[in-house]
Amino acid sequence: MTPRNLFIVGVAVTAIFTGAWFSWRIMTPPAEPVVARVLPMPIELPDFALVDHTGAPIGRDAFNGQWDLVFFGFTHCPDICPLTLQVLASARQQLADAGHQPLPRIVLVSVDPERDTPEKLAQYIGYFGADNLGITGDLEALRELTSGIGIFFEKTSTHADNYTVDHSAVVIVIDPDGKFSALFSTPHEAENFVNDLPLLMSGR
Amino acid sequence: MNRVITLIAVLFVASCSGDVAPLVATDVRLTAPMPGMTMSAGYLTLTNNTAETITISHVTSPEFGNVELHETIIEDGIARMAGLDHLDIAAGASAVLEPGGKHLMLMQPVGDLQEVTLDFHTDDAVALTVNVSIDN
Repeated sequence: MTPRNLFIVGVAVTAIFTGAWFSWRIMTPPAEPVVARVLPMPIELPDFALVDHTGAPIGRDAFNGQWDLVFFGFTHCPDICPLTLQVLASARQQLADAGHQPLPRIVLVSVDPERDTPEKLAQYIGYFGADNLGITGDLEALRELTSGIGIFFEKTSTHADNYTVDHSAVVIVIDPDGKFSALFSTPHEAENFVNDLPLLMSGR
Repeated sequence: MNRVITLIAVLFVASCSGDVAPLVATDVRLTAPMPGMTMSAGYLTLTNNTAETITISHVTSPEFGNVELHETIIEDGIARMAGLDHLDIAAGASAVLEPGGKHLMLMQPVGDLQEVTLDFHTDDAVALTVNVSIDN
């Protein structure tokens, strides 16, 4: 085969494969998240000045550079908070076992800063994994963060000498640009995160 | 990681009529308090084998200074924890206390919690005592 013919065959083969690839892309719709709702326009986090579970100052820059799963709860919440954190930890472990990289970070933002000191938060989140982040601090600063992204919380009493905090039960996804880009509504199941997170994380 | 310790529940029924206990507890699970925490949750199924509604007015435990009946309610995306004044178990029916729903909130633990006793009270008697050995 002359070099010229070889060139023609090469071009033809490339064209066929390129055409086949484009056809496949057009014919096969990309997999969509099943439970996660993707925001049409990711929302920039408001700036905030809080502290992390080590007591170090933390602001919105802390959300740059990795995927974060953020839950708003508190340590004196015996039911839904540990349940949700356990679901997130289980999903993260399943993604790790499947070789998925990078893994999302699990973040608990306390809606009860009055009782949730950095030390308490550190003990609590450490229970669900070593890489987790806890955020607490001044109540007003907390409101600046939550009100900017539509998260609700309100202190309420159950019995005379005790109080609890009503709070949004959603898990929000923050992308590596530090933007709120998707959310998971209740009921939280580990399989929802295992299925949808790789799609969210590869879709940008 | 898994804080829900499956427990072996040894049940003692205060008053038995015939072979079937009037009130039976099954699927008893206690969440041990997290490190540094002074409260935890309890879950179980209570089955009423009588022909009358049984109303649990309150729950006590020698191992906890305060036990409350609570319910997690998620409405419009907001999780609320409501205190329950009482728990009705209809004749022949079961009340299920489970994660994300009705549960016991156990506060102010006393001692090492190797063995936990839960007394379920009606207005005038202890309807059921559940002794829970933590199989750690």
